[in-house]
Amino acid sequence: MKIRGYKVVLAAALAATALSGPAFAADPIKVGVVTPSTGTFAPIGQQVRWALELAAKEINAAGGIMGRPVTLIVEDEETTPAAAVQKAEKLFQVDNVDFLTGTVNSGATLAVGQLAERNKKLATTSVSFADSITADKCSPNVFRVNARAGQQSAALAAWLLKQKPKAKIYYLGPDYEMGRSTVAAFKANAEKLGAQSVGEVFAPNDSKDYTQFFGQIRAARPEVMYISVAGNDTARLLTQMQDFGLLNSLQVVGASGTITSANMGALGAAANGFATGAGYSPQIDTPENKKFVADFRAAYKVDPDLYGADSYGTLYAYKAAVEKAGSTDTDKVRAALEGLTWNTPQGPKTIRAGDHQAMQPMYVVRINNGKFDIIDKVSAEDAIGPDTCTRF
Amino acid sequence: MLDRLTLSMRASHVLAALLVVAALVLAVVGSAIGDTFYLRLATEALIFAGLALSVDLLLGYSGALSLGQALYFGIGAYTSALVLMKVPSFWLAMGAAAGMTFVCAIIGGLIANRVRGVYFALITFGLAQVVAKVVYNIRDLGASDGMIGIPVIDIGIGPFSVSAGNPVGFFLVVLVIIMALYAATAYLLDTPFGRVLTALKANEKRVPFLGYSVWRARMVCYLAAALIAGLSGALYPMLRGFVSPELMFFMTSGNAVISVILGGVGTLVGALYGSVFLVIIKSVIGSWTDHYLIIIGLLFMAGVLFMPKGLIGFVRPHVERMIAPRHLRETRAPEQDAPLKAEEVKP
Repeated sequence: MKIRGYKVVLAAALAATALSGPAFAADPIKVGVVTPSTGTFAPIGQQVRWALELAAKEINAAGGIMGRPVTLIVEDEETTPAAAVQKAEKLFQVDNVDFLTGTVNSGATLAVGQLAERNKKLATTSVSFADSITADKCSPNVFRVNARAGQQSAALAAWLLKQKPKAKIYYLGPDYEMGRSTVAAFKANAEKLGAQSVGEVFAPNDSKDYTQFFGQIRAARPEVMYISVAGNDTARLLTQMQDFGLLNSLQVVGASGTITSANMGALGAAANGFATGAGYSPQIDTPENKKFVADFRAAYKVDPDLYGADSYGTLYAYKAAVEKAGSTDTDKVRAALEGLTWNTPQGPKTIRAGDHQAMQPMYVVRINNGKFDIIDKVSAEDAIGPDTCTRF
Repeated sequence: MLDRLTLSMRASHVLAALLVVAALVLAVVGSAIGDTFYLRLATEALIFAGLALSVDLLLGYSGALSLGQALYFGIGAYTSALVLMKVPSFWLAMGAAAGMTFVCAIIGGLIANRVRGVYFALITFGLAQVVAKVVYNIRDLGASDGMIGIPVIDIGIGPFSVSAGNPVGFFLVVLVIIMALYAATAYLLDTPFGRVLTALKANEKRVPFLGYSVWRARMVCYLAAALIAGLSGALYPMLRGFVSPELMFFMTSGNAVISVILGGVGTLVGALYGSVFLVIIKSVIGSWTDHYLIIIGLLFMAGVLFMPKGLIGFVRPHVERMIAPRHLRETRAPEQDAPLKAEEVKP
C-alpha cells in the first residue's frame, strides 16, 4: 500500500538540500496536484506525478521560487469530474494551495477550472487535449501548458498533405466525445489543405472485432486512414487490418495517444509507418531535453512521455510567472502567465494571452521498429489555429 | 395502537433527530471557524444520503434491489442543470426535476416491474447503463465531458434568500430537504399502503389473497423511490456547478447500495448514516492512500458478517428498549427486528 508521503519526502529532500544548498526561511509555496492514481488513466497520472516531483526537486535544489521551497500535495482524481472537484476543493480550502495542476480527464479539467474560478485560484492542465478547454469553454483562471487536439491535427495534416496532395482519407474513431472531436478536428484541418474525405465510422469503445467495418473501408478506396482509437483497441484494429491485407499501400495516421509505448509491443510490425502529430518525443535533439530524459530515467527507470514532459514544464511556467509577478497572488500570476515565454524540454513555449493556450512547435513522428522518429516539425504559429475564446 | 413496527420507526426517528442535532452542531462550528470544505463535503454526503434513502425504500420495504437507482439521481441532476442554466430558479429546477423523474420512472417502472428478484436487479442495472451511455454520447448534454457553467443560485424561501454558494446556508437547505424526504417516506410507510409494502417483502404470494394488487404497490413504491432519488440529484449541480455522466454510472448506484447495507437495510435512517459514514471514509482514507477501495470492501464484508442489520440495526434495539412502553418492553426479544416479524406467518 502506497502511503501519500509526498510532503514527508519533499521535506526530507528539503532538509538534505538545506545542508548542502540554500537554506529556506520562508513559507513553502504549495502546489496542489489532482491526478489519477487509480483507474484507466493511472499510468498517465504516474508520469504527471513523477515529472512534477522531479521538477520540484530541481527547483528546490536551486533555491526554490523567490527563495521559497515548493511543496506538492497530491490527491487522486479517480478519472471522474465528481471526485476531482471534491479533491480540488479540499486542496483550495483546507490545504490552501496557491496553484493547482494534474487533471487528466477533460471533464475533470473543465469542472476543476470552474471551481478554481469560484475560489479565485489558478488551475492548469498538462494532459487534457479537448479543444473546448481553451476555446468555447475557456476560463480566465485556467491555463493549458500542453498542445490541444487542434495543434496535433494541424501539424499532422500539414505534413500529410505535403506527402500526398489531395489525399483520399477515411476516418475511424471511438464512439465518444474524444473520438468524435479528434476526427472532426483532423478532418477540418485536412480538408482545408485539399484532402478528400471518403467516409468515416465510429466504433464502440473496447470493440473486439473491427472486421465488420472493413467492407466499407475497402469500398471507399482510401489512400490514407486516420484513427483515434487508443490502447488495446489500436492493437486489435491494426492487427486485424494487417491480417486482412488492408495495411498494404495505406498510410495510417492518428491521434497522439493512439500508439504509445504501452501498446507498441502488442502491435509488432502492424505499428510500422504509423505517423502522428505530437508535442513531444524523447528523441528531440536539444541539450535541455537530453538532460531531462537522462534525469527522468535515472530517477524512475523509464522514459518520459509527452505527459511527463508537459507536466515538468508546467511547474517551470509557474516558477517563471511567480518570479515575474513577484507574488503568488492570483491576479498578478495570471497577468504574468499571459504572454509568458519560458524554457521546457520541448524548447521555448509561449502562453497565448487571448485563450491561455500554450504555443509550441509541433512534431510529426513516425514509428520505425518500436521507435518514434521525428520526421517533420511545424512551427508554433502554424499549428496553433485561431483564438476562439470570447470570455476574456 | 403501538405495535413493533411503529416502535422501530420511532426508534429510527430518535436516531434521525440525533443526526439533525449533529448536523446543526457541525453547521454552528463550521460557520464559527469559517470552514468551507467540510460543510460542502457534508452537503454532498446528505445529497447522496437522499439517493441511499431511495434505495432503502425499495430494498428495505418492498424487497426489490435496484442496482440502477443512480439513473433517477442523474435524470434529476441533468434536468436541474438544464433549467438552472436557462432560469436560475431553485423551485423551478426542483419542480422540473421532480416532473421529469416521475415521467421517466413511469416508463422505467413499467419495464422493471414486469420481473422480480434478481431479474429486477439486472433490469434496473441495464436501464441505468443504457441511459448513461446515451447521455455519454449526446453532444448537447456535454457528452462524456458533462456540463459546466451552472450558476450559483439564490434560493428564495418566503421573504428570505440563501445563496447556494454560502456553505452553511446551502448545507441547512439540503438538510431540510433530505430530512423532509425522510419524513415523507416514514409517513408513507406508516399508512396502510406502507403495511402492504411490508407484507410484500415478507410474502408476496399472500398479498393478492388479502385483496391488494402486488403490481400497483410495487409500482407506487418504485415511483416514490425514483422521486426521492431525482430530487436529491437535483441538488447536486447547485452544489458543484456541473453534471457529468458518471453520476448515472454503476459506481454511484453501487455506493448507494453499500451505504444502505452498512447503515442497515429497512431502517430508513440507516441509509442516511451509511451514506455520511461512506463519504467520510472515502475522503479521509482517500487522502491517505490510493487503495481506499480495499478498505471500504473489507469494511463492507465485516459489516455484512458481523453486523448483518447494519450500523443502525445494531444500535436501534437499544433505542427501542429505551423508548418502549412497559408492555412491549418485557416481551422484547432483542435479536428480532420488527419489520421481519411478518415472516413468521408461514403460508
